Amino acid sequence: MTDENKINIVLAGQGNSGKSTVFNYLTGLHQHIGNWAGKTIEKREGTLFYKGYTVDVLDLPGIYSLTTYSVEEVISREYIVRQKPDFVINIIDSTNLERNLIFTLQLLELECPVILVLNMTDLAKKKGITISTRKLGNILRVSVIQAVASHGSGLTEIIDEVIKLKNGKSNYEAPRYGKEIENCISQLSGMLHNINLPYPERWIAIKLLEKDNEIVRLVRENNPSILKTAEELGRNLEEIHGHDSSIVIADERSHLAAQITREIVEIAPRRKISLNDRLDALTTHKFTGYLVMILILGGMFFTVFSLGNWLSSRVDILFSNWHDWWNINAGTTFPATLGWAAVEGVLALIQIALPYILPFYIMLYILEDWGYIARISFLMDNLMHRIGIHGKGCISFIIGLGCNVPGCLSCRIMETRRERFITAVLVTLVPCSAVSVIIFGLVGKYVGLLWALGLYLFAMIIIFIAGRLSTKLVPGEPVELIMPMPDYKTPQLRTILYQTWLALKEFIYIAAPIVVVTGVIIQAINIAGWMPAISRFLNPVTETWLGLPSITGILLIFGILRKELILVMLAAYLGTAHFSDALTPQQMITLAVVSMFYVPCIATISVLWKDYGWKKALAVCILEILFAILLAGIVKRLLDFINL
Amino acid sequence: MFMHRHNRHESFRRKEAARLIDMEGGQEGIIISVLGGKNITKRLADLGLTAGTEIKIIGSTLFSGPVQVEVSGSRLVLGRGLASKITVEMK
Repeated sequence: MTDENKINIVLAGQGNSGKSTVFNYLTGLHQHIGNWAGKTIEKREGTLFYKGYTVDVLDLPGIYSLTTYSVEEVISREYIVRQKPDFVINIIDSTNLERNLIFTLQLLELECPVILVLNMTDLAKKKGITISTRKLGNILRVSVIQAVASHGSGLTEIIDEVIKLKNGKSNYEAPRYGKEIENCISQLSGMLHNINLPYPERWIAIKLLEKDNEIVRLVRENNPSILKTAEELGRNLEEIHGHDSSIVIADERSHLAAQITREIVEIAPRRKISLNDRLDALTTHKFTGYLVMILILGGMFFTVFSLGNWLSSRVDILFSNWHDWWNINAGTTFPATLGWAAVEGVLALIQIALPYILPFYIMLYILEDWGYIARISFLMDNLMHRIGIHGKGCISFIIGLGCNVPGCLSCRIMETRRERFITAVLVTLVPCSAVSVIIFGLVGKYVGLLWALGLYLFAMIIIFIAGRLSTKLVPGEPVELIMPMPDYKTPQLRTILYQTWLALKEFIYIAAPIVVVTGVIIQAINIAGWMPAISRFLNPVTETWLGLPSITGILLIFGILRKELILVMLAAYLGTAHFSDALTPQQMITLAVVSMFYVPCIATISVLWKDYGWKKALAVCILEILFAILLAGIVKRLLDFINL
Repeated sequence: MFMHRHNRHESFRRKEAARLIDMEGGQEGIIISVLGGKNITKRLADLGLTAGTEIKIIGSTLFSGPVQVEVSGSRLVLGRGLASKITVEMK
């Protein structure tokens, strides 16, 4: 392969522009998902073979601007400047042209080769919006392609254009702003000729006027006298416009975007209120919005759990005689038993992933692709705000009810590292489907349904208090909700299945190794005959403080693997699933409370570890163990008090 | 900062101005000022929310939650704290 046949492109665009759909379409199954070095942000790369060319595609994180506000933005602009991709493909949501163009202008300022893709032109047409691609191309001097990514149309044209432009040479021009600003820019960039930075001079000048922290720091190290001029020019601008110079520049961009939009867009008068408009009004309304949300989420959980229970029993039957088969063929020697522990770990993952997580993800991505998830964030922002995070965190909680692992992974949608961590910790306190099995199988069945529901309410109160505490304890400023509200659109099966597949793959990649290894270690301890000693060692906690049978010490250790094992193994130990024969109602509630909070399961711990480092993961585990023991002991004493 | 206060004060006298959170669904106006830290104002500007922009309130949620607005043909949800920092001259 010669270098001439190799092209690398990056996809850039704002959230909701359909960037992921384009990426998935172009790269198909040839993609690799990793993390940006040292960051908790996903890096998605893929390769495409087309007309004898090898095209490497990189999906930059979805962003709103290229000013250093969040980590994603720094990553994106650094990549564009330092790695110099052959083309930056800017995916634009045609129904939100003006807002998207502000970002486009920032890309063009970087003086990189940009190709614009006007995505979702079908939705724009429905809204009566006609965009002249020819005019847009002429004004910005770039190629413009129309596409409907969800149907796959216009996407091969992107690559055709890339190949065409690669073989010709063209110039790229940064957008020009108002006279006063241009004066400042040219004065500043004139001083920047000898500065040793990889960025275009004009861009550095703009960023200096914008007081971009990162660029100011770099220039200070290089030539501090330039900063003085920048400050002076900035003050001049401030005097003329009455705003901070950083706002003057942002204003200028947004006005230019508005002006371009006026020139290229024709909007036909709306004929009538569409069905989607009515649906939107209903689902965001002060009262009906909440009602619909409860119905949708309730329906979703009901479906997932009833489907899950059914599937789970099927899968159980499927695996039921594997253990006997293993014992007959591999024997019951020490290595063979450890081998079974490893197999069991994999089976356990399949037993969670297949019946619960898969249907859950599918429903979630249907809601997401439809546009409903943003409505939940909107409706729940107020309540979440009282906990200390904003509305988007609610999504992670909902996912956490299904399984904490994807719940913690989804915290990446929060803007800052602080919000991500706080949300992830709170998600570990959300009762997942495995914990629900314990709550309903033990408390719901033998103590009463009201008690079981009471435990959920209890969990909500605990999460509320933990949220208030952690937002006080973790340093940094809370971030407020800023979220574009997408229009409703018909969910695309292809997109949903693809997202589900990616999410499921990630779940297995992260969870599988650690679940298998921990399973083997616990089994080894078991075979070595150390379990009785361990449970004796734990007696002061289990028997004395919590008033539970000594065996629960061992159960809780196994519960780290999968929380419902606590119940499964208890049944195995008792030789019956009639827990009321062995446990008093008080003991059942105490055991349920410990199980709910005592430690995230091992798969969740592995996500915390991967995203936030082992120190934080360990700290969370220790804190939660201590907290759960303390809490359950108090609950036991309260129950003593009311004579349950 | 001083300039901001000055501007806002003047416009209060001149015409009917209101904070975004005090407006009701369906009301329209033009943004007069966006107060708050540099980061926030920049972020809002990058989304097209700057002084001089036309804005339409779509609605809020129960118990005074976030505000949904329409700016230059696209819709945005703003946290209550943010929305309280935006002053609008009402039509």
